[in-house]
Amino acid sequence: MIQVRGLHKAFGEQQVLGGIGLELPKGKVLVIIGPSGSGKTTLLRCLNLLEIPDQGSLRIGGVSLQFQSGARPSAREVLSLRKQTGMVFQSFNLFPHMTALGNVVEAQVTVQKKSKAEARRRALELLEKVGLADKARSYPHNLSGGQQQRVAIARAMALDPEVLLFDEPTSALDPELVGEVLKVIKQLASEGMTMVIVTHLMKFAAEVADQVVLMDKGVIVEEGTPEEVFQHPKSERAVQFLNMLAD
Amino acid sequence: MSDRQIQIVLDSLWPLLRAGVLYTIPLTLISFVLGLILAIIAAVIRLYAWKPLQAVAQFYVWIIRGTPLLVQLFIVFYGLPSIGVTLDPLPSAIIGFSLSVGAYGSEIVRASIQSIPKGQWEAAYSIGMTRLQALRRIILPQAARVSVPPLGNSFISLVKDTSLAASILYLEMFRKGQEIVARTYEPLLIYCEVAVIYLAFSTVLSALQHMAERRLGRSSAA
Ligand SMILES: Nc1ncnc2c1ncn2[C@@H]1O[C@H](COP(=O)(O)OP(=O)(O)O)[C@@H](O)[C@H]1O
Ligand SMILES: [Mg+2]
Repeated sequence: MIQVRGLHKAFGEQQVLGGIGLELPKGKVLVIIGPSGSGKTTLLRCLNLLEIPDQGSLRIGGVSLQFQSGARPSAREVLSLRKQTGMVFQSFNLFPHMTALGNVVEAQVTVQKKSKAEARRRALELLEKVGLADKARSYPHNLSGGQQQRVAIARAMALDPEVLLFDEPTSALDPELVGEVLKVIKQLASEGMTMVIVTHLMKFAAEVADQVVLMDKGVIVEEGTPEEVFQHPKSERAVQFLNMLAD
Repeated sequence: MSDRQIQIVLDSLWPLLRAGVLYTIPLTLISFVLGLILAIIAAVIRLYAWKPLQAVAQFYVWIIRGTPLLVQLFIVFYGLPSIGVTLDPLPSAIIGFSLSVGAYGSEIVRASIQSIPKGQWEAAYSIGMTRLQALRRIILPQAARVSVPPLGNSFISLVKDTSLAASILYLEMFRKGQEIVARTYEPLLIYCEVAVIYLAFSTVLSALQHMAERRLGRSSAA
């Protein structure tokens, strides 16, 4: 499970997260929506410590950390929290010098010190799960965007993280490739994977989410079930944003 | 050309080639490999190490790039004996050329590392890698591909630069040429012959370099 309390993050003078609190039980899916620049990416990056929060606390799986400005957590603390999370980036960020299989094997061998054979077996299972077992030997530049993103999902799952984080996983894709990636994410949701997903796709959000939060200017302005947030928004800001998306 | 001159050119071809293959090429290869290791270490230090160490690496690059290679070779071979360090021509040459490749190469390697997109670091961190693991497994292999063309150029320059070792009495191809000139009094002919052999070496290496680049281009087109 994930627990976030009072998370603050500023870049220089600019406050980007102004006290975020979240709670997500194991096996549930949280969708984050909100206008561009509202801090969604920064929040996800704080969850796996690609950005170090200035203040607040974070608990993922069995690892919890407190943040105070000026006191950076130790490298060991950062790693132990990071291993609880898998990240899927908007622009895939696959390792171009490795095959699809190599991408999924890498962390298991380098970080987990598994044997090559064992890592390959697990990697093939994961590629199978995302429907790409037949592309195991392909390099990223020979794969479509949709295929690359599915490999990236398999890579993110390779260390069996407690939670998967998705930052607009389909927004760099051609429209006809979006569906195959969404299908994989929905399948993971049905299998009980805990996920935090930033997306602009409202229909997908409504289908996959157990909880939705709407962010604006670094704070959460609306939260609840998809039904509550999309059908009966309480805040003025949420009504505006949902209307804008409906246009 | 008289018959005598043709004979001289033919007679000196084998000794020159032999000096090239036995002395110029090994000196080049050894210095390049050592220089490359030094270049990677210096580049990584300058990018990521503890600040005082960065300053040391920067100082090294500054000295080597700011002074003539010939002067460096003279310091090592003729200068160091004054403080009790006497080295043979070959080790002196290897030291001089490796330090040079290391300094110029570190600039190339550094630029290549910096050219790898930030997203690659982040992806590596996101799967639990430490900075050193990310560097070794993800960043350096990609930087290596980027640096192949400029390092290939350095290698070809080095083949030619090894002729400077003649001045510290290392019997490579150019020095062999000098010996033959002293015997035959045909400087124009012999030095042109030496030039043609260097040209042949460089041309073959350039062709190899192009092949390597094409091959890398095929497997890593992003
Ligand atoms: N590394 C950074 N340095 C400075 N400002 C940043 C950085 N990352 C994000 N920001 C700023 O933080 C704000 C929120 O950005 P982001 O989290 O990317 O929002 P979103 O993902 O919701 O579009 C933006 O104003 C952005 O310019
Ligand atoms: Mg974003």
